[in-house]
Amino acid sequence: MIKITNLEKIYRTEDVETVALNKLSLEVKEGEFVAIMGPSGCGKSTLLNILGLLDDPDSGSFLFDGIEVAGFGERKRADLRKRYIGFVFQSFNLIDELTVFENVELPLIYLGVGAAERKQRVEEVLDKMQIMHRRNHYPQQLSGGQQQRVAVARAVVNKPKLILADEPTGNLDSSNGNEVMELLTNLNEQGTTIIMVTHSEHDARYSHRIVRMLDGQTVLENLMV
Amino acid sequence: MLRNYLKTAVRNLLRYKGFTFINILSLVIGITGCLIIALFVWDEHSFDRDIAGGERIYRIYNEQNSLTGASNVAVTQPAYATFLQQNYPEVDTTTRIMMFRDKFLLEVGEKSGYEEKGWFVDGSFFHVFPLPFLRGNAATALSAPNTVVISEELAKRYFGGEDPVGKPLAIDKETYEVTGVLAPLPEHFHLRFRYLMSLPSLGLPAQRMEAWTWNQFYTYVKLTPGADAAQVEAKLQAHVKKEIYPTLENPNSTFLPHFQKLEHIHLQSADFVYDNALRGNQTYVKGLTIIALFVLVIACFNFINLATARSFRRAKEIGVRKVIGADRKQLVLQFLGESVLLSLISMLIALLATLILLPFLNAFTEKSISFNPFTNPLLALLVLAAAVVIGLLAGLYPAMVLSGFQPIKVLKNMKPAGGGGNIGWLRKSLVVVQFSLSALLIVCALIVYRQVRFLNTKDVGFNKEQVIFFQTRGGVNENLETFKAELKNSPNILSVTSGYGLPGDQFAGESVRVPDKEDQQFSTTLFIGDHDYLKTLGLKLIAGRDFSRERTTDEREAFIINQTAVKEFGFGTPEQALGQRIDWEEWAPADTTNPVKRGKVIGVVQDFHYKSLHEKVTASVIQLYPAVHFKVAVKLRTENLPNTLAYINGVWDRFSPGYPLDVQFMDETYGNMYKSEEKLASLIWIFTLLAIGVGCMGLFGLAAYSAEQRTKEIGIRKVLGAGVLNIVGLLSRSFVGMVLISCLLAFPLAWWAMHSWLQDFSYRIDIGWWVFLVAGAAALLVALITVSFQAIRAAMRNPVKNLRTE
Repeated sequence: MIKITNLEKIYRTEDVETVALNKLSLEVKEGEFVAIMGPSGCGKSTLLNILGLLDDPDSGSFLFDGIEVAGFGERKRADLRKRYIGFVFQSFNLIDELTVFENVELPLIYLGVGAAERKQRVEEVLDKMQIMHRRNHYPQQLSGGQQQRVAVARAVVNKPKLILADEPTGNLDSSNGNEVMELLTNLNEQGTTIIMVTHSEHDARYSHRIVRMLDGQTVLENLMV
Repeated sequence: MLRNYLKTAVRNLLRYKGFTFINILSLVIGITGCLIIALFVWDEHSFDRDIAGGERIYRIYNEQNSLTGASNVAVTQPAYATFLQQNYPEVDTTTRIMMFRDKFLLEVGEKSGYEEKGWFVDGSFFHVFPLPFLRGNAATALSAPNTVVISEELAKRYFGGEDPVGKPLAIDKETYEVTGVLAPLPEHFHLRFRYLMSLPSLGLPAQRMEAWTWNQFYTYVKLTPGADAAQVEAKLQAHVKKEIYPTLENPNSTFLPHFQKLEHIHLQSADFVYDNALRGNQTYVKGLTIIALFVLVIACFNFINLATARSFRRAKEIGVRKVIGADRKQLVLQFLGESVLLSLISMLIALLATLILLPFLNAFTEKSISFNPFTNPLLALLVLAAAVVIGLLAGLYPAMVLSGFQPIKVLKNMKPAGGGGNIGWLRKSLVVVQFSLSALLIVCALIVYRQVRFLNTKDVGFNKEQVIFFQTRGGVNENLETFKAELKNSPNILSVTSGYGLPGDQFAGESVRVPDKEDQQFSTTLFIGDHDYLKTLGLKLIAGRDFSRERTTDEREAFIINQTAVKEFGFGTPEQALGQRIDWEEWAPADTTNPVKRGKVIGVVQDFHYKSLHEKVTASVIQLYPAVHFKVAVKLRTENLPNTLAYINGVWDRFSPGYPLDVQFMDETYGNMYKSEEKLASLIWIFTLLAIGVGCMGLFGLAAYSAEQRTKEIGIRKVLGAGVLNIVGLLSRSFVGMVLISCLLAFPLAWWAMHSWLQDFSYRIDIGWWVFLVAGAAALLVALITVSFQAIRAAMRNPVKNLRTE
C-alpha cells in the first residue's frame, strides 16, 4: 500500500537547517495497523504529513498504492487525499461553525456525493460511532471524547483505504482514549490500513507493528504479537 | 456545497458580530455615498439627451480674445444665424434667443404679476427644439410679431381653466396674442423659460440683425443629417477671419465662433460668461465622483484589512477543509461567496438608506431625481452586479491569502502568516492609503471652506448691505428726479441713486478711446450713475472728486475710472490720471452730428467687484448719462426695514400705479453667485466626515486585533512593571507612524488639487502651510482616539488573565 524509500525532508530558516527526515524508508502493507513512536522532534509528524499528502518530500520516492506521488502538485494531492485518506487529529479539528452532522458530511460534499446519499452515509456512520443523538450539536457543546468520535466519523465517512491518526488520544482521558482506540481497531479489522503517531505505549499496543524513530530515521521495528 | 458555504458564512458573520458590524456599516456608508453621488452624476449627464434630433444641434459661442486674455462668451452676434442659414446647405435650421434679466409685467384683466424667464426667440425655435405643446401649433406659433407661447403654469395662473390660445396677454403694457401653451419642459433641458415671445415683437431694425459686432443672442444650429459640424464650424471661422476681422475697430479685441454639442452645454460651459443655460460644473461632478469612490475604497480596504487580520481565527477551518480534500479553488470560491454575501447585505441596506436620503439630495441640488431599484428590473440588475463586483474586489485578496494557508501549520496551532510578514505590510499600506485619502479630504475641505468664506467676506470695494434696487417703470421713468427726491424725504433712506449698471446686476460692456494714447480703444465695463452713485454703493474714491451738482459740465465732460483702468490706459498713478481725456461714443446722442462724449477723468475709485470673484475686475468707467436710467438703488437704514419698504412702495404707487414694485436686495443677488461653491463646500465636508468615520471604524477593528494578538506580550510587560501609559504608547506607536506617512503622501496631492481649483478664482486665498498642520493634527488625533480606546482596554486587563488565556 505504501512504500517510501530514502525520503528526505529538510526545513530551512535563514540560518538554521533542520533535517526532519533523513533518508527514511518504510513499507506499510494493506490492512496493517502501524504505530510510529519516538521523542518530540524525531520527525514523526513530518512523516505523517508526507504520508497524508499534506506535505512534499525534498527527495526520495513515495509509492502510494503503486503510484509515485512524490512531486505531485497540490491539486492532485488534494484529489488523492479526499478519495483515499482519512485524518484523525489530537485536537479533533472540527469546524466550530458546523454541526456534528455538517462536519461529518463535509468530505462527502467535496467528493461531490449527492445530498440523499450523503444523508444516508452520514447517519450510518454517526450511528456506528454512537453519536447520532448529537447530530445537531455544535462541537463546543460536546465532550472531548464525543468530539473525537465525530472526528473519527468524519475520517471514515468516505470509506478511505488509509487512516492517519496523529496522537488521537492525546487530549482524552483514559476511558475515552480506550474507546477511540477500540474504534480504530474495529476499522482496521474491517480492512482499513491505519498509521498512528503516538507517545503512548498503551495505545501502541493496539497496533500490529511499532516503528520507532530518532533524528529522522527509523531505528527499530517491533512486531506485536 | 453552496448551502454549506452559505451556512458557514452566515454563522461566521453572526459569531464575530463586531467585525461584521464594522464591515457592513462601512460598506453601507461607502455604497450609499456612491449611490447618492452616482444618482447626481447620472442626472447631470442626462441633460439634453432626449431632445429629438439633438445629435444634430449645436450652440454657437464666441471665443473672445483681448489684450487682457481669452474667455468663452455664450452670447453671439445676430448675424451668425442668418449667415449660416443663407450660405451653408449643411445647415437645416438656426434659431436665436434674446434674453433679458429683467422680469416683465404680465396682465390679463385683473390678474397681473412680474414674471421672470420670458425670452424672445426666432420662429424656428420649436423646429430646432421640438418641445411638446398642450395647445397651439408649434410650427407657426412665434412667426408673427407680438405673439407669445406660455407655460402651462402661467396659462393656469392668468387664464384659469380657459383656453388661452388666441387671447390677448399684456406684457409690459404691450398686447401680445397667446399662440400656444407648452407642456412642462423636459426636466433635463438646459433652457429654463416660462414664456417665449416672438423675436419680431422687439422691432429690431433689420440692419441691426445683420450685425457682426453685437453680442446679445444665444444662437443654435441644427444641421442636416450627416453634415459634418467641424467642417461647418471651420468654414464659419474662416469667413469671420477673412471678412469680419478687417472691419473690426479694435484689432486687439477679436472673437471666433465655436460649435458646442447640445449635450455638452450643461456640463461643459462652467467658465462661460453671459450664459443663460442651466449649467452644472464638470469639475465639481468629477471631484464628487472621486470623493465618493474614495469612501468606497476606504470601506473595501476595511474589509480586506479586517478579513486578513482575523484570518487566524479561520485558520483551523481552512486547514480542516484542506485536509478533508478541499482544493484551493473551492476555498477561494467559499471566501468570495462570503464577501459577496456581505456586500449584498450592505447593498440592500444602502439602497434603503439611499431611498431615505434621496429627498434631501433633491432639496439640496434642487433636482427631482427618482430612484427605485425595487421597481426597475434593469436598475435592480445593475445594482446587484455592482454589489457582486464590490464583494469580489474586497474579497479577492483575503480569499487568496486565506486559501493559501498550509494545513499542517495551522492545524499544529502555528499562527498562519497573518500576523506579520507580507500581509502585515500590506495591511499597513492599506491603512496608509485610507488615511492618506482622509487627510487629502480634510485639507480640501479646509481650503474650500476658507475660500468660500473669503468669497463671502472679502472687501468687494462697495457696500452691498442694506441696498435694494429695482427697475424703473411707468411714471417713475418720466419723473425720475422727483421720485428720487421723494424717497430721500424718508429719514430711513440714507441715499438714492439711479442709472444703469449695478454690481451683481446688469452692466454694459463698452469701449472708450483715450486720445492722448494714440486714440487707442479700450474695452471697459460702463456704469451709468448720478451724483449719488458713489455714495449709495459706498465706492471708495482714492483720487480726485465725485460728480458734483454744482459743476454742470460734469454731465457732459466728467468720467470716474477705477484703478484697473488707470493701469490699463497707461495713466500712471491715480493722481496722474486726473485730467486725462476719454472719449465715448454715445448711445443716444442729443446732437447727432457729434455723437461722441469727450470728457476728462475727474476721479479714481478703488477697484470694486461688480462680478463674482471668479472673474478679474476689468477697466471700468463711471459717468453721468441721464438719457439711460433703468435702475434705482436705495441705501436704507437697518432699523424699521418693513416700514421703509412700505414707504418706498407707497411713493412708487403714486408715480407708477400700473406697475407693482419689484425689489431685490443687492447682497442676496450678489451672494447667489457663490451658491455652487457653498454647496461644494458642504458636500466635501459631509464626505470628508464619512471617509474619516469609515476609516476609523477600520482602524478600530485593526487596533482591537492588534491588541488581541499582543495579549501575551502585554501581560508579560505588565508583570515586569509596565504601566497603562507604556502599554497604550506601545500599541499606538505603529498607528501614529502610519498616519504621519499618510499625511506626507496626501499633502502634495492635496496641495496640487486645491491649487488647481483655486485657479478658477481671480481672487483667492493663499494655501497656508498651517492648513496642512491642522489637517495632520486632526487626522492624528482621530486615529489616536480610535486606537487608544482599544489600547487602554488591553492595558487595563489583568495580566494574569492575559497570560493564562494565551
